[in-house]
Amino acid sequence: MSPQPQAAVGAPLSRVDGRLKVTGKARYAAEHEVNGVVYAVIVDASIGRGRITGIDTSAAEAQRGVLSVIHHGNAPKLPYKDNKASNNPPGARLRVFQDDKVRFHGQPVAVVVATSLEAAQHAASLVKVRYDAEQPSTELSKGKPDKPTSYARGDVEAGLRKADVRLDLTYRLARNHHNAMEPHATIARWNGNKLTVWDKTQWVVGTQTELSTVFDLPLKSVRVISPFVGGGFGSGLRCWPHTVVAALAARVAKRPVKLVLSRKQQYFATGFRPEYEYRLRLGSNRQGRLIAMAHEMEHETSSYETFSEGVLDPGRMLYSTPNVSQAYRTVPLDVNTPIWMRGPGPATASYVIESALDELADRIGVDPIELRQRNEPDEDESSGLPWSTRRLRECYTVGAREFGWDRRSAKPRSRREGDWLIGMGMAAGVYHTARMPAEAHVRLDADGTAVVETAASDMGPGTYTSQTQVAADALGLTVRTVTLKLGDSLFPQTPPHGGSMTMASVGSAVLDGCNQVRRQAIKLAIEDKESPLYGVNADDVVVRGGRLHAKGNPTRGETYQRLLSRNDRTHLESLGSYSGAPSTERHSLHAYNATFAEVAVDAALGLVRVRRVLGVYDAGRIISPKLAESQAFGGMVGGIGQALLEHTVTDHRDGRIVNANLADYLVPVNADVPDLKAIYLDGEDREADPLGVKGLGEVVMVGVAPAIANAVFNATGRRVRQLPITAEALI
Amino acid sequence: MSTELPESESSPPTEESAPTRRTFVATTTAVGGVVIAGGVFGGSILSKPEAAAASAAPSSRVTLTVNGRKHTVTVDNRTSLLDLLREHLDLTGSKKGCNAGACGACTVLVDGRRVNSCLTLAVRLDGAEVTTIEGLGDGDRLHPLQQAFIDEDAFQCGYCTPGQIMSGVGCIEEGHAGSKDEIREWMSGNICRCGCYPKIVRAVEQTARRK
Repeated sequence: MSPQPQAAVGAPLSRVDGRLKVTGKARYAAEHEVNGVVYAVIVDASIGRGRITGIDTSAAEAQRGVLSVIHHGNAPKLPYKDNKASNNPPGARLRVFQDDKVRFHGQPVAVVVATSLEAAQHAASLVKVRYDAEQPSTELSKGKPDKPTSYARGDVEAGLRKADVRLDLTYRLARNHHNAMEPHATIARWNGNKLTVWDKTQWVVGTQTELSTVFDLPLKSVRVISPFVGGGFGSGLRCWPHTVVAALAARVAKRPVKLVLSRKQQYFATGFRPEYEYRLRLGSNRQGRLIAMAHEMEHETSSYETFSEGVLDPGRMLYSTPNVSQAYRTVPLDVNTPIWMRGPGPATASYVIESALDELADRIGVDPIELRQRNEPDEDESSGLPWSTRRLRECYTVGAREFGWDRRSAKPRSRREGDWLIGMGMAAGVYHTARMPAEAHVRLDADGTAVVETAASDMGPGTYTSQTQVAADALGLTVRTVTLKLGDSLFPQTPPHGGSMTMASVGSAVLDGCNQVRRQAIKLAIEDKESPLYGVNADDVVVRGGRLHAKGNPTRGETYQRLLSRNDRTHLESLGSYSGAPSTERHSLHAYNATFAEVAVDAALGLVRVRRVLGVYDAGRIISPKLAESQAFGGMVGGIGQALLEHTVTDHRDGRIVNANLADYLVPVNADVPDLKAIYLDGEDREADPLGVKGLGEVVMVGVAPAIANAVFNATGRRVRQLPITAEALI
Repeated sequence: MSTELPESESSPPTEESAPTRRTFVATTTAVGGVVIAGGVFGGSILSKPEAAAASAAPSSRVTLTVNGRKHTVTVDNRTSLLDLLREHLDLTGSKKGCNAGACGACTVLVDGRRVNSCLTLAVRLDGAEVTTIEGLGDGDRLHPLQQAFIDEDAFQCGYCTPGQIMSGVGCIEEGHAGSKDEIREWMSGNICRCGCYPKIVRAVEQTARRK
């Protein structure tokens, strides 16, 4: 098959849905017009653990407009069948209003349904719940860890004994909340035994299966619609209890119900990046060649589900290390269940490993980049597999040159501008390239336009745009004549919109579907005596701008429109598919970065200001450069938050989150963010997937926090081994 | 042009009455089918009509102009401008991000000044002129800042975008767009979790320069 000209892929296009978004016409979950909709507001548990002993709903029900107050005392019993095709962690998921147990502060204990939002909100505040409260356990250091997941190669203790340099470091990372700007929200509507929900989710298929199992409905009886997602960062990767509450409320009230979580409720009704304690023992020779690394990490999970994430990968494969041990423990606490948050696992592990390498570099007097170069592995030492592509050395070289790394003083606290101490730091980042099965339906109409339907989401990376680019080139159409439709469970299935796998997985399915349709058209033409392409070898036909022509002879050809109308074809169509990663990988596949940061720290006040960030990425082929730059900036800004600001604070007396709002849980604002720069290395990864992409959304966040932390050390000479690095830690 | 909304179900105001029924539920009798604990719900989870008639919130009639169009509405006195726009006028371009004035997603112009519509009660706005993202452009022609947001890719998920743009319009009008640093300060009431700040600054700066 002749390769198609690549006109759209790689071009710095603006978003195809840009106009909808800047005019306010893109409809997010709570904004769909549904006739007769009423409002639901959840009542949250005000204790951290215990039992409900009574609920007084009289004052709430006396409010005009209140239709129903539902709680465990009157709620229908829900089937809650097992859901194996889900992102639900091992354990027993929270069953809304099915018993009197309170498992964490903020657990839904009732829901008020009313004809107006104001009435529902006020009535919810009037529901009186009595509890038999127990002391919750919410402190990571005081919990009882589960049995560890372990890994070992070589002999770590022997390696540490023979090392010239040994470090034993413990790092702490605060809990972080995704805090996407769009609150989680659901509109639920029943039609007989059929349920339609408009939901904020990163996986319409996952929400569909969860609702079908909770209510024991055939999968086809549940439709989930989510065309626009106002940010996710992982919080929409599973169906949360509030979505079930909305559906339940709609069934009881016999009306469509809209339920929007308050900002405060996001902090306990959806998940979070868990708090970690991470001890790393490291041994090297005098030249900095790593001999041994022993990782022991633990993080919080809920009492009812065991959440885990891929935190072990970087410690096994990022640096050449003959002796490695890992022990990974979850600690069940009286909290709600965590969920993956941008760069899940590596964004935590890399902070620890990259900070420790910086400490080692400082100890032995070797430049941090040189230290990393000395430990660059030839293969993945955890699997013995060759790298598909690994261009980390190039990331270092390009980054050092672009950032002016040679201006960094190796001696900490040696550069000062007035009150400000100036420092530079760097770190490496890595994220594995995941791929999963996906499908996409492609239809080429006789008017020469095409529609691609796939259940995938676009939470911001630009799925609409980048998939349009892929489809346009594969069909030989202009971007303008291709329409992408996303976020509907009626469309062909896709994996969760997360783990940086949408482009690799869904993109490959779109590519396949478009290739098939193009081949159908070519076959039609070369077998049609009336076509100028009659008799031409199929491999010698390309399509460009909606016109098929012989390769090397653009004048010999015809348009899709002419071909289809002459043949009385209203359309051509195909279901494209991608089978995902092979059952046995033959390569180790990862995206990489080198991230550089410069900070200024007020010597007296400890205030940290980020002055510059540069990311250099080895992420395979870049489909949509303009949007890829935005993704990288987003990762850097997320990393600034993780490094310096973000910290969910729990009052351990009652398990209450005390800063559950955007005034007290600090996220970066405009004034916190300097000019940022992102450089993507040209190239592709042919082993990864048909498109040659390695995924972007996660890797751009990994490495940012340690680069900033290392810059803070370079500026101040102070090593803060906890995130966020706040002013009080520096004075 | 003027539209008259039907009186909402929460009006007109009636006397507040104290709850008369005790619906205290003993939990041990719960669970199973639509089982009603102690029968206090009278066989249905749905509230009885007389309960629904009990205590209503005061409401008011307000006439305000939104995007050049005059509306006379009866609003629950608790209704914020944001909820009026989103839930009653089907203008969902203004976004609810925090409902507490901390994120700026709900930013609109009231009499030319940028305000957090989530913190503004609708009843206060009799006679006010409100401009939302839906009314910023000139028909199909985008406002230059809307176009600059597209050109600079100054958004990703798009949820904060209407607020950013309305705030940016205000920022430029106020004369606070003289430099990148000044824009950063005066645009810091609008959170973008996707992290598009450098591009937002560029879009505002360029639009201010062209003015």
